[in-house]
Amino acid sequence: MRYGRYRGCPRPRAARLTALAAAALLPFGITPAGQAEANPGRDYMAVASRPNQVHLVDLEARTVVRSCELPGRYGNGTLQMSPDRRTAFVLSNQFENIYGVDLDSCKITFSAIQSAGNVRVKTSAAFAVSRDGRELYVHQNPVRLLPDRYEVLEPRLVVYRIADGRDAQPVRSFPAPRQVIIAQTGADGTLFLAGPDIYAMDVLTGAFEVRLPSRSATDPRYGPRDVLSIWPIGEQSGEFIRMYTAQRFTDSARTPDKAELMWGYERIDLATGAAEARDFGPFEVVLFSGMTRPGKRNEFFAALTQLKKFDVGQQRELASVDLDHSYYCVNFSSDGSTVYLAGTFNQIAIYDADTLERRGTIELPGGDMALATAQVFRRP
Amino acid sequence: MKHLKPLNAKADLLDAARTEAERGEVVAMQTVVGCSATTDPGWEVDAFGGIGGLCQPMEADLYGCADPCWWPAQVPDIMNTYPDWDKDAPSAAEDWRKLGAVFPKARE
Repeated sequence: MRYGRYRGCPRPRAARLTALAAAALLPFGITPAGQAEANPGRDYMAVASRPNQVHLVDLEARTVVRSCELPGRYGNGTLQMSPDRRTAFVLSNQFENIYGVDLDSCKITFSAIQSAGNVRVKTSAAFAVSRDGRELYVHQNPVRLLPDRYEVLEPRLVVYRIADGRDAQPVRSFPAPRQVIIAQTGADGTLFLAGPDIYAMDVLTGAFEVRLPSRSATDPRYGPRDVLSIWPIGEQSGEFIRMYTAQRFTDSARTPDKAELMWGYERIDLATGAAEARDFGPFEVVLFSGMTRPGKRNEFFAALTQLKKFDVGQQRELASVDLDHSYYCVNFSSDGSTVYLAGTFNQIAIYDADTLERRGTIELPGGDMALATAQVFRRP
Repeated sequence: MKHLKPLNAKADLLDAARTEAERGEVVAMQTVVGCSATTDPGWEVDAFGGIGGLCQPMEADLYGCADPCWWPAQVPDIMNTYPDWDKDAPSAAEDWRKLGAVFPKARE
């Protein structure tokens, strides 16, 4: 992946948020009385954090309903929800194990322990649940650890049957592109894999094709795209999406000094499978994740140390606010009225999507979310 | 530059370097790209030569960079060789004093 060149941070500053700390009093993994299950018709968030927990957050009450312990070490916290919105699948143990956690009971109902023997298997953030909730698709990067060297093996896409429960073993395995970072399933069952390009894979045969060219894009008006994609967000807006930056040349000689620097997105419509890559605004600050506002196809939100709102059609910034600290992962309420920012520390920042006014903060018990993916969902 | 005044110690140093004809060193620092070629992330600059594009504060980005081995030079490799470096330090902002230096392990 062509990860950006924009890493690193200035020195610490003292700014800290006032906690909404009722949730911090809850014992981990214990269901509080009167909150046996998440309620239908309300927005919830599932997100993981250090030391190694997954949290169910009631976004309307702005409280943490439950925190469930995960075994092993943290990381990286990528999370996908089952279609029935009861089970969170979390990438854990430093990119190696995937656990399925029942968010109502904290019971671990599924696990995929990918490494075995001297073959270590890491998954970047690329796994997805089938639309019928029966299968889990995982992109694996195996390495054989030999006494004198590491032998990099071919990447693969493996399929687990979720009903196999704990210590599940793959039921199918296919060769897969290298450098795949995130994944999502479309309405027709197609598996989308975002790597050097965005691929569409048939999960029964393993056949795949480039659905959206990114590294292999050949438009002479543009320079190579630079992509950072670690967060499989966008389901709230029916999309699989990641952002890019690129030079947009203004002359046929492709003169770098005359080029415009643009933000754009690469988007797969999860309902139709249609692919679209387009610019949405000028590249003026670094942003880590972004997605379309639900119900407002022309509005695109993205964040890192600012939260920005763009008019896609006019390719201009509509509004911007400075954040109290950097946040990695953008998401929305189901109705698109509220923006949630997660990742980095243990705070979830809440913003009004119309005005970009700060509406509140939810503080998670425990430590940093770091690269965690915050998924927002509504229990059916 | 004559209309810019330093506001903190670091800016003072930069200003001093400029006036002492050491501008080249400052420029050299600006060319550092990514997290792997510098010891103090606070010295880095963003894609535009400023700091507005950097994560703030650096602790917000610490585990996000360390978990995927983004900082292989100055943050211990917690994916391969020092998986317990962050043990008992779930919050980078609160627990940064526990994130110490590591040294090669003696062969047993």
